[in-house]
Amino acid sequence: MRLEKCWFCSSTVYPGHGIQFVRNDAKIFHFCRSKCHKNSKMKRNPRKVKWTKAYRRLHGKDMTQDSTFEFERKRNRPERYDRNLAENTLKAIKKIDKIRSDRASDHIKNRLKTGKVQRQKEAMKQLELGIHLVKAPLALAQDSSLCLPKIKVNVSQAQTEENQPMEE
Amino acid sequence: MIQPQTHLNVADNSRARELMCIRVIGASNRRYAHIGDVIVAVIKEAVPNTPLERSEVITAVIISTRKELKRDNGMIIRYDDNAAVVIDQEGNPKGTQIFGAIARELRQLNFTKIVSLAPEVL
Repeated sequence: MRLEKCWFCSSTVYPGHGIQFVRNDAKIFHFCRSKCHKNSKMKRNPRKVKWTKAYRRLHGKDMTQDSTFEFERKRNRPERYDRNLAENTLKAIKKIDKIRSDRASDHIKNRLKTGKVQRQKEAMKQLELGIHLVKAPLALAQDSSLCLPKIKVNVSQAQTEENQPMEE
Repeated sequence: MIQPQTHLNVADNSRARELMCIRVIGASNRRYAHIGDVIVAVIKEAVPNTPLERSEVITAVIISTRKELKRDNGMIIRYDDNAAVVIDQEGNPKGTQIFGAIARELRQLNFTKIVSLAPEVL
């Protein structure tokens, strides 16, 4: 029994799942489910299909190089069964998996960090424009304590300090 | 799912190139042949100037089908084309070389010679 990787999306194919396609030159393609199989029959290139691991790795969305990948190399030499070895391997698999997934999520977090400031600016802008949805303009005008607190965001151009209630 | 009138490639070096299935061996009204079934076929295309020639009726065993082969362990295998190997009445292949990967089912059906000649067994 061997856990293969889907040729299209790179997810693991467990026994009993998916289809193996044998090409005329005896190259075997494993597919994890009919979605990948059908996409491949349509001759789609996995490197161009957004949800596949191949695309994500190619475009830097997911972690590509890490020492934890070395543990998952394909080995064709069968190991003699040793109880201790098997036990240690199972423990190691769990640990390595955790480390790898932590590193992968860190990679994604770092990648998304640069968008945070941009998103904050956009949120401020949206709040200013849509303040009438939050508080009625009349209430804002009457009770000045209900004004929006002035949050300073570092931008290059000068921002309007006061929030004028929207006038119809 | 090979039936009469199906054209098959020949996966060995027995000088035939293309066969057309005439009959599925097994039962009187057996409809389809799968991997490992014996068929009677006529040679539609052959390499010129060889013992096997066009419109000769021979028996062959099916090696690969485009229809999926389902195994009991849940493995499903699909090939890229329909191919057969020319055999004689005992089940020995007429050619000396087999091309392509062979499914393990052929060993259980006593086509051991074919399996031993195959470059790869799936």
